[in-house]
Order: sequence, then C-alpha cells, then structure tokens
Amino acid sequence: MKQSPADKRITERMAPGVLCREGFLGADRRPLAEILDADRSAVVGLGVTHEQLADRLDEVLRKAVAALGTPVEIRPGLMAVFHEGMGRIPCPWGHGIFPKGEVELADERTGETLRFTPLSVHLIGAHGFYQGCGSCYRIDPESLVRIFGLSD
Amino acid sequence: MSFAVVLIAAGLAALLTAVLAGLLVLAERYLVTYGVCRIDVNAGARTIEREGGEPLLAALKAEGIFIPSACGGRGTCAYCKVRIVEGGGPVGPTELPLLTEQEVGDNVRISCQCKVRNDLRIVIPEELFLVREYRGVVERIRDLTHDIKELRIRLIAPQAIEFVPGQYVQLEAPAYGDNPEPVYRAYSISSPPSDDAHVELIVRLVPGGICTTWVFTMLREGDEVAFNGPYGEFRLSEDAAREMVWIAGGSGMAPFWSILRHMKESSIARKCTYFLGAVGRRDLFFVDELKRLADELPWFRFVPALSGQDAGEWDGQRGLITEVVDRNLTGGADTEAYLCGSAGMIDASIKVLRAKGIPEERIYYDKFN
Repeated sequence: MKQSPADKRITERMAPGVLCREGFLGADRRPLAEILDADRSAVVGLGVTHEQLADRLDEVLRKAVAALGTPVEIRPGLMAVFHEGMGRIPCPWGHGIFPKGEVELADERTGETLRFTPLSVHLIGAHGFYQGCGSCYRIDPESLVRIFGLSD
Repeated sequence: MSFAVVLIAAGLAALLTAVLAGLLVLAERYLVTYGVCRIDVNAGARTIEREGGEPLLAALKAEGIFIPSACGGRGTCAYCKVRIVEGGGPVGPTELPLLTEQEVGDNVRISCQCKVRNDLRIVIPEELFLVREYRGVVERIRDLTHDIKELRIRLIAPQAIEFVPGQYVQLEAPAYGDNPEPVYRAYSISSPPSDDAHVELIVRLVPGGICTTWVFTMLREGDEVAFNGPYGEFRLSEDAAREMVWIAGGSGMAPFWSILRHMKESSIARKCTYFLGAVGRRDLFFVDELKRLADELPWFRFVPALSGQDAGEWDGQRGLITEVVDRNLTGGADTEAYLCGSAGMIDASIKVLRAKGIPEERIYYDKFN
C-alpha cells in the first residue's frame, strides 16, 4: 500500500526516538493505513466503536489519576494504578499535547494486564490507532472488549 | 473515466507534490540565501546578527540565549515559545497544533520551527538572559528508591552556578540507540545554592522515557554531562510573614530539598509544614534527614504519609496526601501553599487548599506536565 505524504509524515513521528524512546509502531512494518484498517475491521467485528473503547479507558484513567498512585478498584476484580511521569508528549497527528505517565490495568480474575497512557486514550478515540504490533503500549481491541466485558 | 485512471492521476499528483516539496526543501537549504539578519531581543536589550536560514531557537542558542526546549528542536515539546513582534511571517503548519488561539493572536511562535529569514524583533522573559550552558562530571549517583536516583554533578565549565532555590535546569541526554538526537529534560535543582560548584538532581524513571532511561541504564559516575539553566519562577515569595504549607512526593521533593536547606543556612525562619505523600515505604527517601531537621528547626514541621494498603507498621499519617492535608491543616487565610508533582496531585491539592481558605493567588506550583 502506498503511503500518502500525510501518513508518511505521521509515521516518521512514530519512529523510535522521535517523540518517545520506543516509538509507536513496535516491530510492525505495515503502512500506517493498513494498521488502522486492520484495527477498524476488528473493532467493527467486535460490535463496538473506537469512541466506546476510548471512553472506557478514559474512565479508568480518571479514577487512577485521582488515586495518586494508589491502586484503585474499577469494578470487582479490575484494579488500576497510575504511575506519574514528568513532561508531556504530543500526538503524532499534531492534535494536542498529553501528560506523560501510564496506567497499569489488571483483571485479577483472568490475570490479563494492559498498560496505557493519556495519549493512548486520545489515539484510540480520535484516530482509531491502537499502536503497532510489538509496541509497548499496543492494545488489541479484543483485549479491551474482554477486560471491560463488552461482549456480554 | 475509469476508476484506475483516477487512481493513477491521484497517485501522480501526490508524487508530484512530494517531489516539489523535496525540491523546495533542497533549494532552501542549498540555494536560497537570506543574508545577515538582525534579531532584536527585548527592545534593544540584546541585538544579534546571524546568517539567515537557521531556526530561531538555534540562532539564539548560538549567541548564548537559551530558550527552554525539551525535544532538541524537533517541534514536539512546545516549550520553546517566544513572542515575535515583528518579522515572523505566517504561523507554520508545524507550529499551529502546539499553539492556542490566544497565543497565535499574541504572536507567540515555536522558535525551533520558525526560521530566521529576515530581521526580527522578539520578546523573551528577562531571566533567560541569565541562563548558561554548563558542563560537569557526575560525581555520585545513588539510588534513593527503587525508581528514583540522585545525581550529584560537579561543574567543570563554568565552575559555579547561581540560582534561586526552586529553579530547574535542563539536562541533556545525548543521542544513543534509536534516539538520533540529543534531548533535554527539566529537573529541579535539589542542592542548596551555597554549594555553587555542584548541582544535585532527583530523577524518577519514566517508562519509555528517553532521558530517564539514559540516566538509569547508561550514565555512570565519572561521565561528563551537559545542562543549561537555571530556569523557572517556582521560588519562595517575598512575603516572609506568611506561614507556608508544602506538598510534594517522589521527585517532586527536589525543589523543597533545596529550599529547606537554603532556609536553614540563611536563617530564614518561616513557619512551614511539609506534607510528603508516598504510596508505600519503598517510595520514601530523605525521611530521616527531614525528621532530624524538624527536630532541629522549631519553625519546620514534617508530615509524611503513606496511601498504600501495604504500608505495614507505620506510625505516620495514612491516606492520600490530599486527605492528610485536609485532616491536618487548620485555617489557611494567611497561609501560602507550594506544590510540586503530577498534574493530578496538584489539581486535587488545590481543591483542598482552596476549601481551607487559601486564595488561589497564594498557591504556587510546579507541575510535572
């Protein structure tokens, strides 16, 4: 798939060492549009929307930030903790600047865990971008649906 | 017209655009000359002359004027804002996402994205004239907690630094690994200004952070480092009569560790309560030193608190630091508050402090974000 100049520019900003040490794409060599398409299809197939998933993450983020680093129960068996970080990081699309820090979310019933940042929430909600495969903040839409019980 | 023809035409147009954009960049780099451009800083306070074509941030740095910048001029951190009151031209597309409407209206620009192509008149905060670039040797690195280190840096050139307790410097993390260019990150100076041949910094590991990963995995005692500074307005007010409340945890302690030791050395006996918040015991540091100072200094009260369930045997306060402040702070109308830490902690603390009657204009803070 040929990259548009805009996608090329955004992809360059997602490379390791540009906005953050590890970048946003991990080991994923697919063009950005292909990554976005694949996750869009997955989300549609799961019967949810990017906005719905981002809203759930945002709710967790708010509760975790308010707990000031102390683990907080989102619902029985689902724990979150916010690890603060200094500084800010811009959206690779150029849509604002977001505080650093990350949330660690753990489903104690299944042992499933995931990590996300305030920027992750924006990237999913506004751009449908769940990051490249192998990226440290990659979140599979399927994981979110499972953890938040959206398939019930 | 078939769909395939439309696709080919669109592809050719995109290719042509990319080629033209590339040619423009090359032409600007190798063919266009702007001659010598004059940059007037703060209405004649400094005038510099530079060959045109370089970013304003780089031009100023080359003349010894340091504008805070964390990303090394890549147009991502939005720290290097300056006001260009004349000659700036239109705001570029790489600047727009980093500026508010108000800033655009006020002629604020991202100086690393704004090239010097003609004479300019700019306005910067006066204190930036005092910022210098320093080189030093890491004399000591010690673990304060599982994810916080203290760096003690001996200055090489210049050999001394003058700063106000509460100010910060920008430490340079050199290019390494996948990180192709140096980046700069801000750290409050935790040493007192009397020790002007050294600076101490308290660095907390940020997962995936370019600078903190370098500090934690590559930096060694004896290594040479570079930083610039001092920067920042966070400092004690001149209203010496007011009682103070300090709130900070983790690496947010850094400015207070400098301020407290400076107050002791300078016999500044302002009544002060320091609320130190942490999750568990493993997140605490300097507690014994702070307790000793609280015993020694009649004007200083130290209130450490743990919020985690795993605090175990702990004879101090328990709960979120905001809850502890709420329980322990009485009155407030004549009090000043100083906060350093994450945006979440500061925003939550401000609500508590305001409810205690401390007016917003007397709440000073240094937000990590």
